[in-house]
Amino acid sequence: MTQLVISDVSKRYGATTALDRVSLTVEPGSRVAIVGPSGSGKTTLLRVIAGFEAPDAGTVVLDGQVLADGPAIAPAHLRRIGSVTQDGALFPHLDVAGNLGFGLDGSEPDRAQRLRELMELVELDPAMLTRKPHELSGGQQQRVALARALARKPALMLLDEPFSALDTGLRESVRQAVARVLTRAGITTILVTHDQGEALSFADQLAVMREGKLVQTGSPYELYWRPADIETALFLGNAVLFDARIETVGVSCVLGRLAAETGGRSGSGTIMLRPEQFRLSPVGPGLEAGIEDIDFRGAQCVVTLLATQGGAETRFTAQVPSVEQPQIGDVVFVSVKGPAFLLPSAG
Amino acid sequence: MTVSLSLDAPALPALPLRRQRNLAGRAMLLLASGVALCALLPLGFILWIAIETGWQTALALIWRPRVGELLANTLLLELCTLPPAIGFALALAWLTERSDMPGAKFLSWLAVAPLAVPAFVQSYAWVSLFPRFHGLPAAALVSVLAYLPFLYLPVAAQMRRLDPELEHAAASLGQSPRRIFLRVVLPQLRLAICGGSLLVGLHLLAEYGLYAMIRFDTFTTAIIDQFQSSYNGPAANMLAGVLVLSCFGVIGLEWLLRGGARYARIGSGAPRPAPRRRLGAWRWPAVTLPIALALLGLGVPALTLSRWLMADGDTIWRQGALVASLATTLGYAAAGALAAVAAALPMAWLSVRAPNRATRFLESCHSYPGALPGVVVALALVTVTVRIALPLYQTVATVILAYVLMFLPRALVGLRAGIAQVPVELERASASLGRNPARTLLAVTLPLAAPGVAAAMALVAMGVATELTATLLLAPNGTQTLATEFWALTSELDYAKAAPYAVLMILLSLPMTALLHAQARRSLNA
Amino acid sequence: MTSYSSLALRIGVLAVTLAMAGAVRAQDGITVYNAQHASLTQAWADGFTKETGIKVTIRKGSDTELANQIVQEGASSPADVFVTENSPAMVLVEKAGLFATLPKDVLDQVPSQFRPASGKWMGVAARSTVFAYDKRKLKEADLPKSMLDLADAKWKGRWAASPSGADFQAIVGALLVLKGEPATADWLKAMKANSSAYRGNSVAMKAVNAGEVEGAVIYHYYYFGDQAKTGENSGNVGLHYFRHQDPGAFLSTSGAGVLESSKHKKEAEAFVKWMSGKHGQAVLREGDSFEYAIGNGEASNPKLEPIAKLDAPKVEPSQLDSKKVTELMTAAGLL
Repeated sequence: MTQLVISDVSKRYGATTALDRVSLTVEPGSRVAIVGPSGSGKTTLLRVIAGFEAPDAGTVVLDGQVLADGPAIAPAHLRRIGSVTQDGALFPHLDVAGNLGFGLDGSEPDRAQRLRELMELVELDPAMLTRKPHELSGGQQQRVALARALARKPALMLLDEPFSALDTGLRESVRQAVARVLTRAGITTILVTHDQGEALSFADQLAVMREGKLVQTGSPYELYWRPADIETALFLGNAVLFDARIETVGVSCVLGRLAAETGGRSGSGTIMLRPEQFRLSPVGPGLEAGIEDIDFRGAQCVVTLLATQGGAETRFTAQVPSVEQPQIGDVVFVSVKGPAFLLPSAG
Repeated sequence: MTVSLSLDAPALPALPLRRQRNLAGRAMLLLASGVALCALLPLGFILWIAIETGWQTALALIWRPRVGELLANTLLLELCTLPPAIGFALALAWLTERSDMPGAKFLSWLAVAPLAVPAFVQSYAWVSLFPRFHGLPAAALVSVLAYLPFLYLPVAAQMRRLDPELEHAAASLGQSPRRIFLRVVLPQLRLAICGGSLLVGLHLLAEYGLYAMIRFDTFTTAIIDQFQSSYNGPAANMLAGVLVLSCFGVIGLEWLLRGGARYARIGSGAPRPAPRRRLGAWRWPAVTLPIALALLGLGVPALTLSRWLMADGDTIWRQGALVASLATTLGYAAAGALAAVAAALPMAWLSVRAPNRATRFLESCHSYPGALPGVVVALALVTVTVRIALPLYQTVATVILAYVLMFLPRALVGLRAGIAQVPVELERASASLGRNPARTLLAVTLPLAAPGVAAAMALVAMGVATELTATLLLAPNGTQTLATEFWALTSELDYAKAAPYAVLMILLSLPMTALLHAQARRSLNA
Repeated sequence: MTSYSSLALRIGVLAVTLAMAGAVRAQDGITVYNAQHASLTQAWADGFTKETGIKVTIRKGSDTELANQIVQEGASSPADVFVTENSPAMVLVEKAGLFATLPKDVLDQVPSQFRPASGKWMGVAARSTVFAYDKRKLKEADLPKSMLDLADAKWKGRWAASPSGADFQAIVGALLVLKGEPATADWLKAMKANSSAYRGNSVAMKAVNAGEVEGAVIYHYYYFGDQAKTGENSGNVGLHYFRHQDPGAFLSTSGAGVLESSKHKKEAEAFVKWMSGKHGQAVLREGDSFEYAIGNGEASNPKLEPIAKLDAPKVEPSQLDSKKVTELMTAAGLL
């Protein structure tokens, strides 16, 4: 099992700062997802780890082996790090067997047996070994790319948006298959993605990047319910924000008094609620609001509510099971499940 | 406890740490700059000679009626050749790509085939069939026939690639088919027409053999006349200067006409082929245009050559010089192709892997000599070797250098496409699978780039095999190539003996022509 | 896929081998810069090699082109022997001091009128200027009495020449010696207005034969050469000799000389001696070149007008100034 320690890594391209003192520790056997909008530096970080890019400063250490110490780096081909990219990067001039065997020692005995095992590992038919990459579907290509990287028994696996080129339906099944394979092989994995749903479901640790900085790391649950700032809150899902007054216990806002950890703060602040925290009922108690619009999404529906209190209008959305879907124009009473989250003050 | 744990885990060996200096990139930049410097030689030479001659003398040599005459001739030639060539190219392309003319595929091959007939063989065919045929009309006719494929190929390719939805949209907006062609199709063909016209325009400026044989004076023929009278004297060099300016004029004009558009590779082609227009009663009569052009451009050379070949029986095939010059031509073509591709490699790599403003500048340095007539490149090399590098004078190395400079752009185009076949992601994948850079080059980069490299070499080899002026001026003593022998024989009016040389040149060019045609079609279907 | 690279490698090896073969071939024997008709010099070289075993490598070019080339190459010129169609190019090289003096026994093979007093080079053949005319269009009486008459306005558009060729430039050189610079410049200006330019004497004669122009100023042997073959380019052509020491009766001397820088002087001298001697002159008499033999006691081809009857003007070869001729012709817009 492998531990990766990234300390204070910085990288600039001319005037642009791609990475700004990024530090991250990846625990043995874990699956980390690095998320962030495009241009946030997540792919640069992955390239630094893989050895395709040298940092200006900082160190990368894998199992006590120094991979990068400032601009001095170990060559990529000696690093024992596997990688799967967005389009798989299969060699078009080699068949599947040639691709799988590319990283294997030429003299390895039982090569054929090993290739078959690899195919089974990624849940592909060994009969496909003689096919050329262009004869495979996108999902099959990604599985071959994964098997190819696994063939060398890497200490660390890097996945750079490996599912983004796939169709929505296929994406989920391939993602689950990959997760299964990696768990079985027990390989420490880093996934880079801009798809928060993918990150939340795949990883047991999330790292959020923005403008070259690592803003927050933690478990998906932790980051979803307790984001460090508004941007992270919105990046990981829909969020409803209210101004609130901090009480001795909990907070109060248009929705009334809500449970929340205040950490001893006082005065006012911003609270975040996820739309699925709202409960709508035809009778009180709760905030009285009119239904303005309904967006039906199958199992769930998103309801736009308008509350008028003391002449001030507040508009927000709630997500409720569609079996409980109200009608436009209905008046409902809104209550909250679970605690609200008081966002850390900007300062 | 902790002590025993660290003993359990075997210590991994320390990896070598090195600063990443991007050696490959720097080496490539250095090499490409070296090649670019060589490529600037002809231009520098013209400037140097102008300065050395002194502005007074230079002006006297440039500002004289003869130069005006040549300028008028050149302008008239361009004006009489380009418009009909564009018209024919459009008509042919439309008929072969967008109409239901019978045999369209075969006729499209026929439209490209004249590429295999070197321009001076084309004029040889006409002159020996019609001895009194000369001057501007003859020059324009033969030029149209010889260079039409340069326009037809890009126009036909673009026409196939057009999205039919645009035309459907125009039709639904109530436009007549004629207006759709003028307002929707034609503007989309502008890039192809401009590019093809540029190529033809530059050929008109650079060609010697065609116009010498058909007795039409251009700058290039006048330069050779001067060269034969006074070697590389100031008069020849000043004419070369004016010729280079004309070339830049043509390039600049094309650049203006092209406007803001750029020659970017257009996506992955049309979503589906456009419907072919029904010609109805015109279906069969339409065939006459491509057939007539083929008869003129291919039939006349075929007729002349077979007549001369038949006249003297098989004795003309027993000229000893024939085999020798074929061998020399093949040798030069292969050596030139290898050298040009090797010289273009750093630039091709840079323009795919590290495109920025500096490399774009280097790239234009690589491309411009393609616009220079062989005689200018040769004059520059004669003077430079005689005055500075005499040991290189009249050596194979100098001829090959001339070929490299002249055909650098051809090599660059093929190589760029080849290297673009190897995205950097594949090289990285190879590294992450444990292959070091050298083994990555062998196992991934080279095999994938090979077809592009082969195409680049074929293009250069075809150019070398029919090159005349630079070979005449630069080749070592006793060198005979197919082109120079053909030229020597036709100069003595020995048309019969010259015929086998022409046939061999055509045979050598045929496979390359087929390759070009196939490539143009494939790029559409991809 | 890898077969591409191995194929490229094999092609490369082949190319280098071929190129080397070409370079090596030039190493042994002598190198001749030849501006004479390729077939004539080849016949001389073949005969010479057959008799002596010395190999001859030939570089082709035109008179002044090769002469200027030798001047630029200077002491490092690869040429051993220089053979021309006309004298001006020889003068150019002689003036640059690049010729070795020929041995007396070689020089004495031709009469002194066909070589300069310096003994730096010598004539090996000669050719006469003629006015080749269309017999269907011109009668004896219509023919110009002198070449200078062609400057008259009445000849506008009726005659042709090959101004870019060394042959014609030699004739202009003689004109310059005989009539001086102003007269020559005027005549050239009139020529630009009156004549049509063809590239090569044979092409000009062919044009006369085809009726494109009425006459052309060329050398005599193009006519005889064509007559000896099929006559298809000269059937309608008649030859008019200007005689009376007219500039148009100029008898041009084809020269040969050995370069001072030659590393094979003995072999080179042997070649010049062979060309001007019995065997070389016999090639002129019996071959298909139809140039005049000029060796002492050597008769020319009996079909030709005898030299004695040409009444050619006396022009000292060393006075022919090719540089001035090119300048004047460039100024007249003929080049």
